[in-house]
Amino acid sequence: MKIDISIKIGGEAGQGIQTVGQLLALVCQAGMYVMAVNDFESRIRGGRSFFQVRISDRPVQAPDHRIHLLVAMDDKTVQTHAAEMVPGGIILMEKGAGPNKKAVSVPFIELAKQAGARITSNTVAVGACLALLGAPFSIMKRILSEQFSQKSRDILEKNIKAAELGFGAVKGTSFKWAFSWKKTRPRGILMEGSKAVALGAMAGDCRVGAFYPMSPATSIMAHLASFAGQCPVVVEQAEDEIAAVNMVIGAAFAGARAMTATSGGGFSLMVEGLGLAAITETPIVIVNAQRPGPATGLPTRTAQADLHFVIRASQDEFPRFVFAPGTPEEAYDMTARAFNLSEKYQVPAIVLVDQYFNDSLFTIEKPLAAPRNIERSIVGDKDMKDPGAYQRFAITPSGVSPRALPCKGKALVVVSSDEHREDGHISETISDRVRMVDKRQAKWPAMLSEMRPPQGYHGDSDILLIGWGSTKGAIQEAVDGLREKGLDAGSLHFTDLWPFPDSAVKTALQKKKKIIMVEQNTTAQLGQLIRQQTGLDFSGAILKYDGRPFYPKEIIEGVQKKM
Amino acid sequence: MVSIKTYESDYENQWCPGCGNFGILSAIKDALVKLDLTPDKVLIISGIGQAAKTPHFLKCNTFHGLHGRALPVATGAKMANHRLNILVNSGDGDCYGEGGNHFMHAIRRNLDITLLAHNNKVYGLTKGQASPTADLGMVTKQQQAGVTSESFNPLAVAISLGAGFVARGFAGNTEHLSNLIQAGFRHKGFSLIDILQPCVSFNSVNTYDWYKKRVYDLNAKAKHRTEDFTAAITAARVWGDKIPIGIFYRKEIPTFTDQIPALKKRPLIAKVYSQKRLQALLSEQ
Ligand SMILES: Cc1ncc(C[n+]2csc(CCOP(=O)(O)OP(=O)(O)O)c2C)c(N)n1
Ligand code: SF4
Repeated sequence: MKIDISIKIGGEAGQGIQTVGQLLALVCQAGMYVMAVNDFESRIRGGRSFFQVRISDRPVQAPDHRIHLLVAMDDKTVQTHAAEMVPGGIILMEKGAGPNKKAVSVPFIELAKQAGARITSNTVAVGACLALLGAPFSIMKRILSEQFSQKSRDILEKNIKAAELGFGAVKGTSFKWAFSWKKTRPRGILMEGSKAVALGAMAGDCRVGAFYPMSPATSIMAHLASFAGQCPVVVEQAEDEIAAVNMVIGAAFAGARAMTATSGGGFSLMVEGLGLAAITETPIVIVNAQRPGPATGLPTRTAQADLHFVIRASQDEFPRFVFAPGTPEEAYDMTARAFNLSEKYQVPAIVLVDQYFNDSLFTIEKPLAAPRNIERSIVGDKDMKDPGAYQRFAITPSGVSPRALPCKGKALVVVSSDEHREDGHISETISDRVRMVDKRQAKWPAMLSEMRPPQGYHGDSDILLIGWGSTKGAIQEAVDGLREKGLDAGSLHFTDLWPFPDSAVKTALQKKKKIIMVEQNTTAQLGQLIRQQTGLDFSGAILKYDGRPFYPKEIIEGVQKKM
Repeated sequence: MVSIKTYESDYENQWCPGCGNFGILSAIKDALVKLDLTPDKVLIISGIGQAAKTPHFLKCNTFHGLHGRALPVATGAKMANHRLNILVNSGDGDCYGEGGNHFMHAIRRNLDITLLAHNNKVYGLTKGQASPTADLGMVTKQQQAGVTSESFNPLAVAISLGAGFVARGFAGNTEHLSNLIQAGFRHKGFSLIDILQPCVSFNSVNTYDWYKKRVYDLNAKAKHRTEDFTAAITAARVWGDKIPIGIFYRKEIPTFTDQIPALKKRPLIAKVYSQKRLQALLSEQ
């Protein structure tokens, strides 16, 4: 890795930190791999907020702990983040000098005014950053033109002027990490995790979305709603999460694939609905974008502490799918799979993401491909000998009954949240209760066969780091770091969590010298699950629960301490 | 031809003999027959309670869901297929207690369904606790010193929230009730029919006789103008020696699904998946 630079833009919420970061990320994407994290408080104005962009000539999927360039839109940013800087790093700030660091004064606001609009101070900052990085101005100009294509010429010209002034403001300052910008073709596309989930839903032919706003899940539903003009999808903002999940169930019952997205607190309210989907065997998809809790917790921070909760949520027992994508590509693929499998087995499917994943930008190199067709698991009158004798919960060896839709034929569909007979009517008899439980539980083996084993990365190593979901990038980078230090380290990463792929895990873990869990919770929930399902124990755990994503360095140091 | 027999379910009825629900059930059947709807054209959605068991005692498409949650299920079903004819059966506890929030918002959305609220002023299935519509002072096993909260007035609330069809029926007058259900079904938009329903097991005050002495048909003399909002609210507040039944308020307004551009041509479930369309969306990102 020759190029690996991290730029942090800090300021108050409302100062347009994200705009600077995103613009920067877009420009750097010309030929470079870019990933960016978004860190903000749960308030609209004020408070500390930052956007951290990492630029590399090699794929990167995690934030770095080192900062090479700090753009301070206010003084507090300097105090808060100066210590994270590498020797030789530069602080760009309004005026004055940084504490023992090389600071360059860029009068953002003054230059913006010169450009003709105070609000272009963000663009001034981006211009200055790019000049330091050695970028040709032409790329900046092109990206600005694309970004402001919908706006007036005047706005575009003011922004180009602002960028130029920013460029000029750092003239003569040499930056150790400047690199030569040859390729200008963007390396794939930049995408937030939340958008990948929403696009995945479209690839799963989702037609109905219902939600109640809750960070960090709302952006998923906002993306979904924005597709409504192009694809047949309707999104409704429900009065609460209970309504949202019941709307999704109603829509799915009537024949549309449907989903909701929420976070832990909202998921708690949806739990009874999850059970309703299970007993009525209605396929639904629920995305739980995790954040630290309990209760309201840290609304804009990240965590991975709902694994046990979603696996067990609801009274009684029933089959369900639980997936946790580790990259946007996986989120796209896995959300679509959640829809397909949920319908195939007529069980609820849960997709676990988190704030870090949802709000971060990742480079997606290969274009996302739309599935050729959608395989529906629905029957109509023509598939039946006698539609009049249709039974929604007919006992079958696989536990999956032919699913007809209401008012689509002569077959009448009767379902009940009460325990029921094969025809859907309430029954309290011992035999119906046992038959229905057995029928639902009979789905497990086939569902298990759909599960993908955890992915090994140097999986034969003596030391295995084990994680799930969004920590994938940080863990794999930590593995690279540990191997550079001469340790025989590898990782095993889980995306398909429930039904738990026992035998694949057993094979992968046997005879490992050291198994170290890497999770964003306090109890190593996946570690406990592995122990429960395979009888194999882990020897240590690196756990982070401060609400911030893992830096690879933290994992490397954690492993070294355990050696 | 549809007849009452068409809707007869061979599933054993589970209500107490003499319950007001029987009158409501026959009125529903009568209305469906008169509307000339076959069972495959009807979807009944309900929550939990004695009232919510109604769909099991009918032959048609049925979703018997969670306590208080019938309306959100109906909302989702309408999004997927807005051509569905949906009748929601709910108890007063189900609809105005556990599901109060959904009641309010289904009206605001103007969800195109007909809601039958079986109002017996008690929670029947959980054995007689006071429901939100129980009158102030009503004594139950749970409320031994009498109910201390004001009775919830579903009609006044629905009218004030802008519901387009608000009516009250009486389980003891099935012919009148059947007419209300038919009118509600024909109304495009949300229709509430609150039904006075004697519970012979747990409500010894509001009995058949008690109601029979008091109810009168609001629309009988054509004095009540159903398009008059103020008159409707006034009538909705009448309770005591005289209790009006009939249509209180009626007005056609755009429905929930009318306002969704994507649903203009055909229901969501009738649209086909297109790889090309999705690929175009993906390429745009
Ligand atoms: C979440 C939840 N809470 C409580 C109950 C218990 N419960 C079942 S029916 C009912 C009340 C029913 O009263 P109402 O809706 O008035 O209907 P009725 O039985 O009087 O027709 C209650 C509280 C439940 N099933 N689910
Ligand atoms: S308890 Fe009351 S409402 Fe329930 S069935 Fe018996 S009489 Fe009817």
